Amino acid sequence: MRITSRAKAIAFFITLGAIVLGLAIALNVTWIVLHVRQIGTLVLGIIFFAVIIAGVVVTTVFLVREIRRNEQQDSFLNAVTHELKTPVASIRMYLETLERRPLDDTQRREFYRIMLEDTDRLVGTIEQVLKAGEVRHGTDRRDWQQVDFGKLVTDAVELARLRHHLGAGALRMSGPHNGDITVRGNPEELRTAVANLIDNAVKYSQPERDITVELATPDIDNVVMSVHDRGIGIPPTELKRIFKRFYRVPGKWRQVKGTGLGLFIVRSIARRHGGDVSAASEGEGHGSTFSIRLPRVYRV
Amino acid sequence: MKRILVVEDEAHLAKGLRFNLEAEGYAVEIAETGERALELLKKPDAFDAVVLDIMLPAKDGFAVASEVRAAGNYVPILMLTARGRPEDVLKGFEAGTDDYLPKPFELSILIARIGGLLRRKEWSSTANGAKPDAAQVFTFDGKVFDFQQLQLRTGGETHQLTLMEAELLRYLIQNRGRPVPRKDILADVWNLHADTDTRAIDSFIVRLRRYIEREPTEPRHLITVRGVGYRFEPEPKD
Repeated sequence: MRITSRAKAIAFFITLGAIVLGLAIALNVTWIVLHVRQIGTLVLGIIFFAVIIAGVVVTTVFLVREIRRNEQQDSFLNAVTHELKTPVASIRMYLETLERRPLDDTQRREFYRIMLEDTDRLVGTIEQVLKAGEVRHGTDRRDWQQVDFGKLVTDAVELARLRHHLGAGALRMSGPHNGDITVRGNPEELRTAVANLIDNAVKYSQPERDITVELATPDIDNVVMSVHDRGIGIPPTELKRIFKRFYRVPGKWRQVKGTGLGLFIVRSIARRHGGDVSAASEGEGHGSTFSIRLPRVYRV
Repeated sequence: MKRILVVEDEAHLAKGLRFNLEAEGYAVEIAETGERALELLKKPDAFDAVVLDIMLPAKDGFAVASEVRAAGNYVPILMLTARGRPEDVLKGFEAGTDDYLPKPFELSILIARIGGLLRRKEWSSTANGAKPDAAQVFTFDGKVFDFQQLQLRTGGETHQLTLMEAELLRYLIQNRGRPVPRKDILADVWNLHADTDTRAIDSFIVRLRRYIEREPTEPRHLITVRGVGYRFEPEPKD
């Protein structure tokens, strides 16, 4: 409902801008026609009108951009508020339950487990927000080191299996990972990028998980890690937008909770390391593949 | 046994709510989506109260509340909102919810609020209202407000009121003839205090005016007292 009213507000400003622009142009033309013989006034008038028109165009563009940005920040704030308050509400409720009700051992243990999961979710959200701030500024390249990318990916896969309670069949790994793929960069950031892609694949392919993480070296200069899932997929029109900060695909994709920062973080990290990230999907319900490309370095 | 529908998509919250409400002696059903909730609420008497989360995946809580009311179901609804912004509370009340609680909530307060809604429903549906001066019907200016049925009969028309619309009207009738501050209304009718935006009441007043007034834009019974609140005039002099 709110989105519709916002869209109306933007449409109003765009229309207003277009009308003002049209008026200015009409005035300009009239001015030229009326003063065609007085060269001095004509030139001066044209210059002034051109400045006014340029001003209106710039203001309209700026306004629309600001409205869009506000909208995105608003939806980000909503998502983050939800992502922070929901686990806190849950933890609080279970703590109060533990305090005020007689519980048997099994129930108590179950409630502790739930609270731990909520704590993980909370920490995850906080880290995403902090990381999104960090990646915009970037880390000091002097701290970069040679990283065994194959091992980093293998570790990330194992960690994801553990965290999401997945069997080896649900999250598979293929491709060479015998220690001969080296990249140069910040290992912590690279781990974040890889983990975000795997976590997304898990999040967007419930309840049946069938995820493949593949490492490939398409040429001697690059390494590509692809994460393929058979989840809900992505509409073709959204494939590029999903990497924007705060952007979340509207519709049923929002059933999966998130802040709209994960893929933005991945892209920022990939680009700073001289690589990039891309998404492919055959559309809704057909799964998706995210590939992160990084330049290889060779140990000397 | 009172039946409560909990509409919540967060599995952990839903599970905890079910556990605690069942421990309080209620029968609880969970709906994970707005669509499922609407399906379960098709039968008007299926539940005695609804706990409705606002941020649901596809159809949000506001839409669910509006559709439930539009379908003529007046079950008391308590909304839970993570954002807790004044405009959300307003929007929720406009959609037809009766009460709200921001997340994270205190368990004892949630249980007390649900208890409050159920008690009010009981008062309204028992023949001899338990409230001291709650008569069964109140007649004014050719209109009849039935406390028991939560109905307002004007001429040939009968309007079904939601629980809180009826509670507000009852409160204004009890204080008829004198201006009642918005803050008092929030405190006495909703049990909400200082931090709530008093505009929350206005949407209820607008709805009541639609039922009561011949010209809702020129009210004769539900009069705005500028800078204070509202005054109910059963028999206007003009």
